[in-house]
Amino acid sequence: MSTQASTSVAVNEARGRRSTEDVENPKIHFRVCRFIIETGVKLGMRSVPMATACVLYHRFFQSASLQVYEPYLVAMSAIYLAGKVEEQHLRTRDIINVCHRYFHPDSEALELDGKFWELRDSIVQCELLILRQLNFQVSFEHPHRYLLHYLLSVRSLLNRHAWSRTPIAETALAVLKDSYHGSVCVRHKPQHLALTSLYLALQTYGVQLPRGEREWWQVVCAEITKAQIETIMSELLQLYDMEAKCT
Amino acid sequence: MERDLLRQSVSYHGENLLSLLKCEQNENPDFKHVAADLVKTLNQRNGLSNTSEDMHFKDKEDASPVLEQYIARKADLLFAPSWKSSTPADEWQEESGEAYAVMPPLEQFMEVSFEERRELFYRDVERGDMLIGRINSVRDFGLFVTLLCTAGGLERDIEDLEIKALCPIRNVPSTGNHDDPLSYYQIGDLIRAGVKDIDRYHEKLTLSLYSSSLATHLNKIKLGVISKEDLPLHYTRGEMVATDCNETYEKLLDDSLGLSNPLNVDYLLGKLGISGTQTPSLMRGLQSKRFKEEDFGTAIRKKQSVSWALKCVKTGVDHFKSGRHVDAMNEYNKALEIDTNNVEALVARGALYATKGSLMKAIGDFELALESCPTHRNAKKYLCQTLVERGGQLEEEEKLVTAEGLYKRAVVLDDTFREAAEALEKLQIRIQKSLKLKELEAAKEQEKAKTVETSAEKLRKILKEEKRFKKKKRKRSTSSSTSSDTSSTTGDDSPSTSRKKSKKRKHKRRRSSHGSKKHKRRVSSCSDKTLEDDWFPAPANTSASYIDQKQSMTKLLSEGEPDGRGRFEDVPDRSPENCRLVGPDANGEVYGTTGRARDRRDSSSSTQSEYSHQSDRYSKECSSQGRNRCVSERSRDEKMERAERKSRDQQDGRSSVGSLKKDLPSNLVDIFSQIAEFKKDKKQ
Repeated sequence: MSTQASTSVAVNEARGRRSTEDVENPKIHFRVCRFIIETGVKLGMRSVPMATACVLYHRFFQSASLQVYEPYLVAMSAIYLAGKVEEQHLRTRDIINVCHRYFHPDSEALELDGKFWELRDSIVQCELLILRQLNFQVSFEHPHRYLLHYLLSVRSLLNRHAWSRTPIAETALAVLKDSYHGSVCVRHKPQHLALTSLYLALQTYGVQLPRGEREWWQVVCAEITKAQIETIMSELLQLYDMEAKCT
Repeated sequence: MERDLLRQSVSYHGENLLSLLKCEQNENPDFKHVAADLVKTLNQRNGLSNTSEDMHFKDKEDASPVLEQYIARKADLLFAPSWKSSTPADEWQEESGEAYAVMPPLEQFMEVSFEERRELFYRDVERGDMLIGRINSVRDFGLFVTLLCTAGGLERDIEDLEIKALCPIRNVPSTGNHDDPLSYYQIGDLIRAGVKDIDRYHEKLTLSLYSSSLATHLNKIKLGVISKEDLPLHYTRGEMVATDCNETYEKLLDDSLGLSNPLNVDYLLGKLGISGTQTPSLMRGLQSKRFKEEDFGTAIRKKQSVSWALKCVKTGVDHFKSGRHVDAMNEYNKALEIDTNNVEALVARGALYATKGSLMKAIGDFELALESCPTHRNAKKYLCQTLVERGGQLEEEEKLVTAEGLYKRAVVLDDTFREAAEALEKLQIRIQKSLKLKELEAAKEQEKAKTVETSAEKLRKILKEEKRFKKKKRKRSTSSSTSSDTSSTTGDDSPSTSRKKSKKRKHKRRRSSHGSKKHKRRVSSCSDKTLEDDWFPAPANTSASYIDQKQSMTKLLSEGEPDGRGRFEDVPDRSPENCRLVGPDANGEVYGTTGRARDRRDSSSSTQSEYSHQSDRYSKECSSQGRNRCVSERSRDEKMERAERKSRDQQDGRSSVGSLKKDLPSNLVDIFSQIAEFKKDKKQ
């Protein structure tokens, strides 16, 4: 399973053309991840469980093919599983309700009949499938706590008034949340992602931090280079462009 | 749009940004206000960049168009005033490093230069901040402190800056006694002080040890001498890092306990003032205003529960109509479990309760339903009916006022419900009637009051007579027989005393157990004596007076043949002279009569014992007050007079209670006369 998808991409690249899949897949993933995040907000999910759900989804489709598995079903199961993993248990009834309404806006609430229970069964089945696909490794390290600690450290460097008028924390967290639309969240270390979001936020507002022997980001992440930061940053920013294309 | 922020950003990025901004945001009305400002700023910046400046502008090589593009596109979000969430100013607490990882100041890791750190410190320290330092000299005008570290929110590496601050004596609180307050402090002490004043130009700091000098969110922290344990965590960890060059920021963070705390994200989000479930986003589609309330999980669930519950209610109603009440109740309860306070379910259940007869529960359900939906037609209708029915029940139970309340409520609820109004009217008439009746009764009762009292008094007298009879009997028999008497008469007591009030009987009984012993004692001791004497040698602690009295009383009794005596009760005031006359003789009379009472088998031991009790009481009173006449004595005398009379009457026929009552007034007079004779005899 895991080699199938990647070999097809490699083969296509070798042939020098991009199949529609390669072009379409990121868009599909973007849309599904948007669906996950929206559902998460409507269910009152906290940041970390929502991040887990997105990571589960991305990791699943790193090795599985979109042809075989319905991405929205995988997404719903990912939400359900993430709730369990991160101790914010969600009920399948709520997930099904919200998702149904996502696809059929302004519709009536579903009847709790046979069809409903079938949907529920399929979510539970898919959950098991995800677990197996990921070898039951469903516990991930997320950038959130690193980002928050870095924010506190940077805050101490700044004048308190400058901090209170500059929405650095909000922007950094927003950038981090939006990063889950793409697979950048699974291709980089959480510390690097956190650092990049913070870097981006500081750059946005033109905030000047004191300079020492080392830059603050060198201190925070010893091995990271500016180039790496730039790479990640460009990936993050690409996602914003994608929004225009996909939605 | 936040003007200052934009300016800052534009001056950092340069013209590119400005042009992009203009391009992307030209429809944004807020931007237009700021655009002119930005142009000015840029010109300034360009002017400055030619000269040497301290500000670090972005180098041209670093220009990232993507970034600028993004800023330009999202400027309406990034620079919106609402973007920044307001941080709540909580009371500051010393972090234990458990909730999250407390790190040493970044300055230290970054190895920021001496001057820069010093500059930054003086730029950022403010009045009300907290600092920790070591005392390096104590003068008579104050303390000199070398600063060690910052505390209370500000986190800087200042130890090697060797900043000296002064804490003048006026800012040192006195320790209470009249010693010099500075004597409390030694060189080398660690103290925690608040910043009272700053002279940034001269780089002078004035400290204070008064809590009032601290900012409000810090003012719970104690100032003064502290120990090493009180040093803030960021400082102690910084020291550790300084000594160990292998300790990097990363390593320190990864090793700290606070990082592993699963709740640290939520905690820190709270500390920064950002909501955990509503984190901001820069995606257009995820802006919070795009989310509709009814799309949220909880709202949909509620609606679904309601419809599911309604289904259950429908099946329940079907059951109800077919007569399957149990099934119907089950369905209703199921519906209420799915959706608590579901209006339809409550109304249906209430109707079921009402049909089954549990009216109070039905009313409860209807009330609850009307609380959530005050215009529910069925609920009102059923509630009215149930109230009227309940009112009817209460009427039968004579709880008229409550019933009235219910009818009134029914009328208020549904004024078209004629039954309620009719019932209310009927009830009101009835209430009025009953009120009138009560008034009449009350009036009658007042009239009867005296008669009632008198009948009670008569009763008492009868009882006293009975007692006297019993006592007489006891005196005449032997000790053993008296003891058997006491036991037997206790048994006989019940029918004879049936007339008496139960309280009095119990009262006597309680005393009987106590008194009978004494009585037996007395009885045994006088077994030698003749029946005629039939007097017990008094116990040592009794006053002698009544011993004589007893003797005289027996004589009197033999003359007058009084039989039993009723109980002694406190009576209303009598003329003092009569009492005095009776006084010394009274007790004797009592005892004398009891001797004869023994003849009558049906006298109660309790009465006897009450006599003994009463005599004890009497004796106590006498002993306490000496031989003076006391009120109780008087009253008892009065009773005895009456009892005397009663006993005389009782000779004829005990059953004639009525006759006794009639004869009482005459008896009184007789007794008085007899007692007067008695006294004369005694004196003789």
